[in-house]
This record gives sequence, C-alpha cells and structure tokens, in this order.
Amino acid sequence: MGVWIVLDTKFVALLLLIASFALFYAYMKLAQGGMKIKVRTFPAVAAIPEAIGRAAEMGKPVYYSTGLGQLTLNNQLNGPQTLAGISILGYTTRLCAKSGVKITYFTPIADSLPLVEETMRNAYLAEGKPEEFDPTTAINFQNEQSPYLTASLGWIQREKPASSILLGGFYYESVCIAEAGNIIGAMQIGGTANTHQLPFLVATCDYTLIMEELYAASAEISGNPDVLGSLKGEDLLKFLVLALLGIGFLLALIGNTSLIGLLRL
Amino acid sequence: MSQVYKRELVFIVTGVVALVMMLDYFFGKNIPGLSGSGGIAGQLQTWALIIQLMAIGLGAINLIQVHYRQISRKTDMAIYSIIFMVFFAFLLLLGLYKLFTGVELYPYTWVFANVYTSLGTTLYAITGFFVFSAAYRAFRARNVDAAILLIGGCFVLLANAPIGEVLWSGFPLIGNWFNNVGQIPGMRAFTVVGALGLLAYGFRALIGKEKGFYSEAS
Repeated sequence: MGVWIVLDTKFVALLLLIASFALFYAYMKLAQGGMKIKVRTFPAVAAIPEAIGRAAEMGKPVYYSTGLGQLTLNNQLNGPQTLAGISILGYTTRLCAKSGVKITYFTPIADSLPLVEETMRNAYLAEGKPEEFDPTTAINFQNEQSPYLTASLGWIQREKPASSILLGGFYYESVCIAEAGNIIGAMQIGGTANTHQLPFLVATCDYTLIMEELYAASAEISGNPDVLGSLKGEDLLKFLVLALLGIGFLLALIGNTSLIGLLRL
Repeated sequence: MSQVYKRELVFIVTGVVALVMMLDYFFGKNIPGLSGSGGIAGQLQTWALIIQLMAIGLGAINLIQVHYRQISRKTDMAIYSIIFMVFFAFLLLLGLYKLFTGVELYPYTWVFANVYTSLGTTLYAITGFFVFSAAYRAFRARNVDAAILLIGGCFVLLANAPIGEVLWSGFPLIGNWFNNVGQIPGMRAFTVVGALGLLAYGFRALIGKEKGFYSEAS
C-alpha cells in the first residue's frame, strides 16, 4: 500500500487551492445571503454597448475574435481565455441582435466552433430573432494563424467594421488586427491574459481588459450577485498572495528559503 | 424544456471533467484507474483530441459552405472562393493519395515548402510595420506616464540598435536594466493576478456558475 497523499509541494498547492475555493465559495454564499458586493466596473465592458451602438448608427458590422489560442480549447493557458472571450461574445451577439447589427466572429480554433455556434444561436434566440442567425456568415473559420490573420485583415479592409473586439488568447496577430482596425478608424476593445501581447493591445485599443479582468468580465456582465462574490474572494486572495510574497521576502532576507521551497512546484 | 436540460448538461459535463482532471493532477498515481492512457483522465484527453480532430472536419465544411455561397451568388469575391475551392480539392486529393498509398507526391510538399511557408513568413514579417506604427502612437508624450514610457522605450531601443552602443556605452546598460529589472516585477504581478483570475474562473466553471460561454450572460 503506497501513501495516498505525499506531503510535498504538490500537496501544499492542493491545500492552497482548497483554501482559495473555500474563500470564493464563502463570498458567493455571503452574496447569496444578501451581502452587498461592490465590484469595480470595467470600462472595457461598459464600452461594449457603445461599440455596438456605434455600429448601429453607422450601419456597419462588428468584428469579433478570440485570437489564435494555440488553435485549441485543450490548452492550459489559452483555452480558458478563449472560453472567457466566447462568454463575452454571447453578450455582444445579444446586443448586436437587439440593435440589428451584423457581427462576424473570426477564429482558427476548430474545436470551439460548435460552442461558438450554439452561443451565438442562443443569443439570437434570446432576442427573439433566431431566423437572423446565419452561421455561414457570422462565423469565419481558418485553420491556421496566417490564414486567420489574412482573412481578418482582408475583411477589415473590405467591410470597414465600426467596432472591433479582440478578447482571448492572442499571439502576434493581435497587433496586426488591432492596427488594421486603427487604420480604418474602428472603435476597438481588446483583452488578453497573454503578457507578451498585452502591450500591443494597450497601445492599439481604446479599451483593454488586462489579465484577470478578461475572466472577471463575464461575471460582471452576468450581474449575478453570487458570481460577483467570487470576484470579491479573488480580490481578498490577492492580498493574501501579497502577504505571502512579503513574508517570503523577509524570510529570504534572513537566509531562510523554506517558504520558497514549499511553494515551488 | 429540452433546451434547459441540454444547457444544464453542458455545465455538468464541464464541472465533472474539470474535477476529474484536478484529481488526476493531485492524486493521479494513487487512485486506481484514473491516470495513464487507460485511466479516466487519459481517456478524457483522448476524447478531447478526437473531438478536436472532428471539429477540424467541421471547420472544413464551414469553409466549403461559405465559399460555395460566394460562388453561387457570384459576388465580387467569388474569384477568390474559386481559387480556394480548386486548391482545397487539389490538396485534399494529394493528401488522400498519401493516406492510401503512403507515397508523398512532390506537389504536396512543394506547395507547403514554397507557397504556404513563404506566405506565412512574409505575413509574420509585416508585423514589424504594425509594431512600428503602434509604437509611434504609444510613444507620443501626451502626459507624464506616456513621457516616462517614451524615455524608457528610447533606452531599450538604443540598447538593441547597434548605433546605441556606438553613441554611448551606457545605453546598453540602462536599456538592459529596463528590460531585465524594470519590467520584470510588473510582468510578474500581471502573471500572478492572471493566475488568480483563472482560478476564480475555473471555480465558477467547476460548480456550474460560469454560464457565459453558453450565452447565459445578459
């Protein structure tokens, strides 16, 4: 019989994970119980209706993409970003359906297609306009980075969308697509949790969701108090991490690296 | 009603799969039948791969539908759709030939080596121009923050450009300091908060509260 749980760094990680989940759950329960949760508003999320309104006024379409995302949802770093982007796509599509604005979603991620199609279809259904949804024009799929980028750049040049929304796991295409949007004067909203692309989106977009804001945006959109509670828990967790960093720093100063060793995976 | 069940099923499957993968990560070897290629977690990963490959087929169908529509409607872009269809059929036939005979025909590799790769590299190269125009806007000293960014950016630029060291030997030192010391704490802070956000998002998905990716957000 082997030891079921080994007291190693992985076990410490599990304890921290359980503690984090407990914190999220506690705040979600408190929010359900009527606790007032005040969450900061994200200007980028607040700008989405403005972007759709602009498209409605100009009679032009909206460009939407969740980025390369390493070409699959089955990727630890990019899969959740793509999902977060699809969450906001649902909300954006509803706004578009309501205002009669055409939205075109570009993706090179094949395994996200069924989810995207259902999300967009549900959004049109929720607005009572299922007949207006046409997947062959609303979803534009390319199987690789270069074709995806070429198709995006070409479409932006031809259709001149009023607004461009880039939310997901982006790679080098972010700066190309956002610059193409800038050239035609589109209102741009960007967001990614890929640190290597953040500077490009910050430099080129009017509004940006930075790192965890991308994941938090759908919670804010939902407005569901218990979901917002998890954001409150997340904020508290940030302070705990800061405290751990501070303790680790002080211990390291006196030559004790045990905390670093314990937390290193 | 079936729509409700269908929707709930999506979130239940998401939660169960997330739980299995977490258990595999922490206790994989200690729970019989969980890890390895024959275990539940391994099987789920294989299913994910199969679904992914099937989805590529779905994507190909979507592409054919889109381009067929362009051709049948005789739009301005129809010529490009015809080119796409011809190349699609051509490469599909060559690929099928390789699949059944095991022989890779010369045109198959030639198209990849001399058309696809060259075009991809060219497209990647144009990023430089886009970065240049984005940097031009980012470096306009409109306020104090932008001015600090501009000064830091100039040092990093001169540290990387050969002319920087010729002008003054201190440029590489200061520029590399910005690169290796100045920006790393900021980037690490981003990485930490990104991970915490992912954790909260994962938790919401695990317990079925994250419903936005099935258009529950309103």
